[in-house]
Amino acid sequence: MGHTYRTVTWNRQKRIYDLVLWSGIVGYLIVFMVVGGLTFPNVTIETLLLRSTSTCAFLLLHIILSIGPLTRLDTRFLPLLYNRRHMGVSMFGVALVHATLAFIQFHALGDLNPFVSVFVSGTAGDILSSIPFQAFGALALLILFLMAATSHDFWLSQFSAPTWKRLHMLVYGAYLLLVGHVAFGYVQDATSPVPGVLLGIGAMWIVGIHLAAGFRELKYDRPVAPEDVSADGYVRVCSVDDIEENEAVTATISGERVAVFKHGNRFSAVSNVCQHQNGPLGEGRIIDGYITCPWHGYQYCPLTGKSPEPFTERIPTFDVRVEGNSVFVSDHPNQLGEEGQFESSSSDDSSSIP
Amino acid sequence: MVETIIGWLLAAWGIYLFCGFVFGVLFVWKGVGNIDPDARNASIGFRLIILPGVAVFWPIFIRRWRSQVSTPPSEKTAHKWSAS
Repeated sequence: MGHTYRTVTWNRQKRIYDLVLWSGIVGYLIVFMVVGGLTFPNVTIETLLLRSTSTCAFLLLHIILSIGPLTRLDTRFLPLLYNRRHMGVSMFGVALVHATLAFIQFHALGDLNPFVSVFVSGTAGDILSSIPFQAFGALALLILFLMAATSHDFWLSQFSAPTWKRLHMLVYGAYLLLVGHVAFGYVQDATSPVPGVLLGIGAMWIVGIHLAAGFRELKYDRPVAPEDVSADGYVRVCSVDDIEENEAVTATISGERVAVFKHGNRFSAVSNVCQHQNGPLGEGRIIDGYITCPWHGYQYCPLTGKSPEPFTERIPTFDVRVEGNSVFVSDHPNQLGEEGQFESSSSDDSSSIP
Repeated sequence: MVETIIGWLLAAWGIYLFCGFVFGVLFVWKGVGNIDPDARNASIGFRLIILPGVAVFWPIFIRRWRSQVSTPPSEKTAHKWSAS
């Protein structure tokens, strides 16, 4: 990092993001309560609150789980990703309200320890309706708490991005638990087919876009063909014309993707992995002379892989060579902080730029 | 029987969190700046916002604080392994 942590590093984009997010949450809750109250006049205010907060949190979770794959499929969704952690914490807040209301209404007033009651209570009857579905919700809430509690950049730094991301992948476990929570709860109180149908559509959507994004990514992770590797360990990545100015193409070299940027009269190659949240640098652009991560705007010098002062992040660089119309990248990264070398022997530029 | 087991598990979890909270208050007040230079002059708001997480992951921070680790761990990617 290289700068003092703040509670929240606010900027204009984050303020707009949070304003839209919370306007949506409050608007949803109000509309749900009003429409629900008018449509079902016998339903109590507590039940409306329970249902509005539960559906709001579950809907937000679907949006959160959709953002990652959607940005892989279409970069126009990137603004949604920028402040996704605030959406996650907000979703946890709404889910916590739902859980607290349910805890008070269904568990706090019984003879049994209310915390134990959450994990054992179910209705007697067949096996499906005897499953304590609230335990699924409680375990999901625990996962969402862990994620919200570790959402600050401090945790990224302390855990390192790969470990932090593995922890936050538990969101898929939370989603499965919540599907169980909703499904078994629905079985125990089935009065309409609508919730079941919506649950199924939501699950198919989540699975579908993850598969679509996964298939799209597969082609980028294919190992380099042997005929594209030269005798001195350079890998042919693309043609000179394949890269737009200040943009990059990626290729999998040395076990990870490398991003090759064109800028000015040269090419630079860096490891594709942003040190902040492991965002895909090759999908970013060079802005103000720095490679800028498309996820959160972390920047790196294309020559040295170093972040501008006072930041201290560094990513490995790779030597680049242009021969004719082909761009070659060394199959071995340079030491951290070492400047990547560039050579050109193309017909229209015979200069060698060290 | 199931209720008793669940009661014990929840009690153990509660004790674990209580210990973490007590340690966490001390850690965010005095210790966090020792293991992460970016946290040395951080605001009270930052210290409060990391407290719930410290209360869960406190064994990690006890170890780092005791072993006087002064910087966060550095990430190792495939390229960093190759470069080193």
